[in-house]
Amino acid sequence: MADTNPIKQFEVHELVPFEAFGLNLAFTNSSFFMMLTTVLTVLLFTLAMSSRALVPNRAQSVAEIIYGFVADMLRSTAGPDALRFFPFVFTLFIFILVANMLGMFPYFPGPGLHSFTITSHLIVTVALAMLVWLTVIIYGVFKNGPKFLKLFVPSGVPGYILPFVSLIEVISFISRPISHSVRLFANMLAGHILLKVFAGFIVMLGAGLGVGGYVLGIAPFAMTLGLTALEFLVAFLQAYVFAILTCIYLSDALHPGH
Amino acid sequence: MSRKDESPRDPSKADLDSLQQRIDARREKYRPKPDNAQRSAWQLGMRYGSEFFGGVLVGGGLGFALDHFAGISPWGLIAGTMFGFAAGTLNVVRAAQEISSESQER
Repeated sequence: MADTNPIKQFEVHELVPFEAFGLNLAFTNSSFFMMLTTVLTVLLFTLAMSSRALVPNRAQSVAEIIYGFVADMLRSTAGPDALRFFPFVFTLFIFILVANMLGMFPYFPGPGLHSFTITSHLIVTVALAMLVWLTVIIYGVFKNGPKFLKLFVPSGVPGYILPFVSLIEVISFISRPISHSVRLFANMLAGHILLKVFAGFIVMLGAGLGVGGYVLGIAPFAMTLGLTALEFLVAFLQAYVFAILTCIYLSDALHPGH
Repeated sequence: MSRKDESPRDPSKADLDSLQQRIDARREKYRPKPDNAQRSAWQLGMRYGSEFFGGVLVGGGLGFALDHFAGISPWGLIAGTMFGFAAGTLNVVRAAQEISSESQER
């Protein structure tokens, strides 16, 4: 019977073993997909924008729509002065989007012949969320100085409960990268497991019941088909949600205390 | 898009206008409908769940660290978790406000 282990797809394999300073820095299939995401994005955008036509062809208009989409999102949530963060938000959005989409390939002409969703690993999403969080702190302090601390002092709170409220605000602020990263990670992980579980039912029915199993297998197959469509939606939506939360957090760094 | 080279005799102006009208009509037809199905219940649940979980985890963690360094175990953990609950609730309330304002904009 074929392997129907639904979480085998998340295994990290070493491709090129490498060790330095007692740390295992091997090139893994996760690294491969991260590099592929970056290379593919750069390549596709260069190709799409190569003609630089006034009237864009299809590829160029897709690139322009994505650009406009992210710019509008940033402008509407964090204000026009947030556009200095456009390269940052755009990179995050497109990296997560392409990584999620690459994870949707059932088979992939890469290591292990299977696809790997890098955003289904908490360490990757935490790294991305910490990047946003540290950018907010460093830029917020750099731009606003001590005024950045207004973020933790909501206006119109009586003095005697202010210490408690500020403490709660600080905890809430520290918890941001957790919820930011866990959401992306959990959505991708759960979606892919669900997909694999239902796909596994087809194989199990076929192997266990013979011809009758093939007929019954239509039901989980239909489910897998539907879930695949849903997963494409989730892959886009989660990249969008991550980017829009980044915008909301950056707006705190730009104008704290409102 | 400049207005000065517009002349009423220009036949291409009328053409362009009718083209614009047709484009607008088509755009309206294919405009994605504001459906709440996109934000499925699972997504909402994940949102609220992770917000609340993050608050409690950070509060408890800070309290635990305070216990460890100040040696006042278990009071730091108890107080920290309670503040964490409060922060988690605050996170959930903010998330709910964001989501409801988003759906009102549509």
